[in-house]
Amino acid sequence: MNMHTQPQRTPAETALIDAFGDRLSLLPGDGAVMLKRDDAIEAIKHGLPTRRIESWHYTDLRRLLNAVPDFDPAAAAKAIAPIVDGSTVLSLLNGVSNAKAPTVEGVSVQRLSEKLTDGSIAPGLDPYGSDDAIGALNTAFVADGYFIDIADGTELEKPVELQNLQAGGQTHVRLPVRVGSGAKAVIVERQAGEGAALTSSVSQLVLGEGAEVTWLIVQEQPETATHLAQFKAHIGKNAKLTLFVMNAGGKLVRQEIMVRTTGEGADFKLRGINLLAGDTHTDVTMVLDHAVPHTTSTEVIRNVVTGKARGVFQGRINVHQYAQKTNAKMACNTLLLSDDGEFSTKPELEIFADDVVCGHGATVTEIDHDHLFYLMARGVDEKSARGLLVKAFVAEVIEELDDEAIIEALEARLDEWFVTHG
Amino acid sequence: MPAVQDTIDRVRKIDVDQYKYGFQTEIAVDKAPKGLSEDIIRFISAKKDEPSWMLEWRLEAYRRWLTLEEPTWARVNYPNIDFQDIYYYAAPKSTPGPTSLSDVDPEILKVYEKLGIPLKEQEILAGVQKTDASEFEEASDNVYKSGRVAVDAVFDSVSVVTTFKKELAQAGVIFCSISEAIREHPELVRKYLGSVVPASDNFYATLNSAVFTDGSFVFVPKGVRCPMELSTYFRMNEKNTGQFERTLIIAEEGAYVSYLEGCTAPQRDENQLHAAVVELVALDDAEIKYSTVQNWYPGDAEGKGGIYNFVTKRGDCRGDRSKISWTQVETGSAITWKYPSCILRGDDSQGEFYSIAVSNGYQQVDSGTKMIHLGKNTSSRIISKGIAAGFSQNTYRGQVSAHRKATNARNFTNCDSLLIGDQCGAHTVPYMEAKNSTAQFEHEATTSKISEDQKFYVMQRGIPEEEAIALIVNGFVKDVIQQLPMEFAVEAQKLIGISLEGSVG
Repeated sequence: MNMHTQPQRTPAETALIDAFGDRLSLLPGDGAVMLKRDDAIEAIKHGLPTRRIESWHYTDLRRLLNAVPDFDPAAAAKAIAPIVDGSTVLSLLNGVSNAKAPTVEGVSVQRLSEKLTDGSIAPGLDPYGSDDAIGALNTAFVADGYFIDIADGTELEKPVELQNLQAGGQTHVRLPVRVGSGAKAVIVERQAGEGAALTSSVSQLVLGEGAEVTWLIVQEQPETATHLAQFKAHIGKNAKLTLFVMNAGGKLVRQEIMVRTTGEGADFKLRGINLLAGDTHTDVTMVLDHAVPHTTSTEVIRNVVTGKARGVFQGRINVHQYAQKTNAKMACNTLLLSDDGEFSTKPELEIFADDVVCGHGATVTEIDHDHLFYLMARGVDEKSARGLLVKAFVAEVIEELDDEAIIEALEARLDEWFVTHG
Repeated sequence: MPAVQDTIDRVRKIDVDQYKYGFQTEIAVDKAPKGLSEDIIRFISAKKDEPSWMLEWRLEAYRRWLTLEEPTWARVNYPNIDFQDIYYYAAPKSTPGPTSLSDVDPEILKVYEKLGIPLKEQEILAGVQKTDASEFEEASDNVYKSGRVAVDAVFDSVSVVTTFKKELAQAGVIFCSISEAIREHPELVRKYLGSVVPASDNFYATLNSAVFTDGSFVFVPKGVRCPMELSTYFRMNEKNTGQFERTLIIAEEGAYVSYLEGCTAPQRDENQLHAAVVELVALDDAEIKYSTVQNWYPGDAEGKGGIYNFVTKRGDCRGDRSKISWTQVETGSAITWKYPSCILRGDDSQGEFYSIAVSNGYQQVDSGTKMIHLGKNTSSRIISKGIAAGFSQNTYRGQVSAHRKATNARNFTNCDSLLIGDQCGAHTVPYMEAKNSTAQFEHEATTSKISEDQKFYVMQRGIPEEEAIALIVNGFVKDVIQQLPMEFAVEAQKLIGISLEGSVG
């Protein structure tokens, strides 16, 4: 048996470790937080995950992350208009929260830097496992974000839009959100900016009994950015979470989604569209735990791959031993439109309860020739016909959201992508 | 919904403590000393009277193996295997290479009789003994007479007998043990051995390359349709031995062969290692059908003992329009780690994988397939059914990939699993990788796939819903069972009888 020797550190690993040393004195946090940071950087010192780590099989972070920009104190990101008019905007410009954040009745908003300084956020900083590179990276460097608490019974009329905008350098933010029982809210998470930045962003959502939340992640990073994001949620009794993810940018993107049903009657819906162009590498990885009986979930992911883009979807549904009567369905459909593009998918089921209905389906195809013929026979030229079919393929997922304003807003984002990449 | 009672009863019948083949036989054996070293490999090679290139090949594999690490990615748990605590060679003493059944130790014949190899096979075994000469004449005018099976019986490390050799030779088919092939047909073995599963392929395949002791060799020449089913029956008898067999099947242009494999082992408290390699090569327009009924000792109800079955099986559709089809019925082994795969290299080639895996007791199954699409217009089909009961873990792990140049690659995958009880687990881990825009891959893992239309059609004719579903399910399962040669179909039928009601993806 040969011995595994610790391989040489990559420039990116070295840059991260060095940056930690440089930044340490500027990072907020009490003793407990600082201990978590030390643990996290230790994990990074062991090396970024490679394809030998199963959860990173298709995204060899060690190989793909080949440059880490320095922190750039001069970078000045500009706020942008929210996707739905009248939304309450909480912006993070270059990783820094707004001292004068707008107020909404029933919603308490705190700057995360304060929660780090007083240490009250420390317990939530642990990565979830040894392969949680994004969690570790974020814990080591997180400096700010928003801590949001929506009081029991609050029904928000307008969406809350969390904007994480950068203009180069590195940003590491965290967005813990608690939604009280019976509360209803629409939350938009915007991820955008300019320049060759490295961003890590971790959202943590806890839904109380009967709460209903629609959370939209709209990721439109520039083609030069590295975007490493995590969305974690616990769904309580009879609570409903609809998560919509749109990836339409970035050079190296990994969006992890970790959801756990914690109360009976909990329902989770994931709808995702990945619009991949240029030479992006975009990975959406979901782990869904059905941990209690009588919970339901459906996941639909639609991917469009053009250019030299590489797309990945990994989705794992774990049904725990006592989670009887689980009903879980997952589908991942991909349109592969270019010969240089590629898409890999791994839809997994891990089932330990016997009285459940679980299923998954996955397809990878090109545009249906019959559909194309149908349109062209009616005088639509080939390019427009293809455009129509591709758009219909992804728009179908958006139309499932039952809020007109949101559907319109997302379709506008979709149109914009097709104008530049169609 | 939970599994129906009928299914539960049927699965119980094949539960681990019902293992029928657990007897052991006292037979004088010739064993190599325990452990593994270059000397042991030289010993095996010398025993087999092998040419020097073969020994070199083995030694190279062994040196390679020393640098490899045991894979840990599969969903199986077992204590570390002490590779120095295994006998790598054990052969019945009284049979230094028999040529006909009459030379075989009657004790061994009794073993095969007791194993309940399908009745037909036993008649044939008897037939060889009695009518060796007359059979030859008969064969010449009726080579395509159906229902006959040529058997290669492998007992521990050696092949004890191969039947119907003469008749096969008449058709130009070579069917013999691999040791014999290395001696008699070195040019063929040298050309193809390791060309599908290279000696450096993976930990267990490399170990096998170093120490394989026997197995079957099949060569079907150009344009020949093999006149009968070929079969190998593996029996592990000796304590603390590992069985490392190597099978190589070559179908030349336009040839066809159907091959089946069965295996059993005595009931013992210790775990035994079985690490086989099977290589299939199909040239232009050739077709190979490979069926397995795997019934190694699965361990007792407490999970003690049983066979560790770490097998590398791979078929190479090297020629255009070639076809390789794997069918497996897996009920045995404490641990199964096996992914019969197809490399679809030739244009218009086809790969198929049909599997039924039943796990019980503390069995762990991690099995599936790989379909690697390289050529143009290649297609593959995967049908897998896993049934887990007791405390077992049943995993389907499969990979389908289309390379850049594999235009119009097609795949359809369907895997269903069924859980009986809440102490077991069923897992599905499919990998799909498309690098060609004309590839069309479909994967599904549900049972609700019985179409409403079909159900409506049947019910409209006055058949109640439950019967309608049963009818449709049976019709669907038939696809799998029909892939098996008659001789094994009966055995498999019992398993397939298990309704899929209540299954999950």
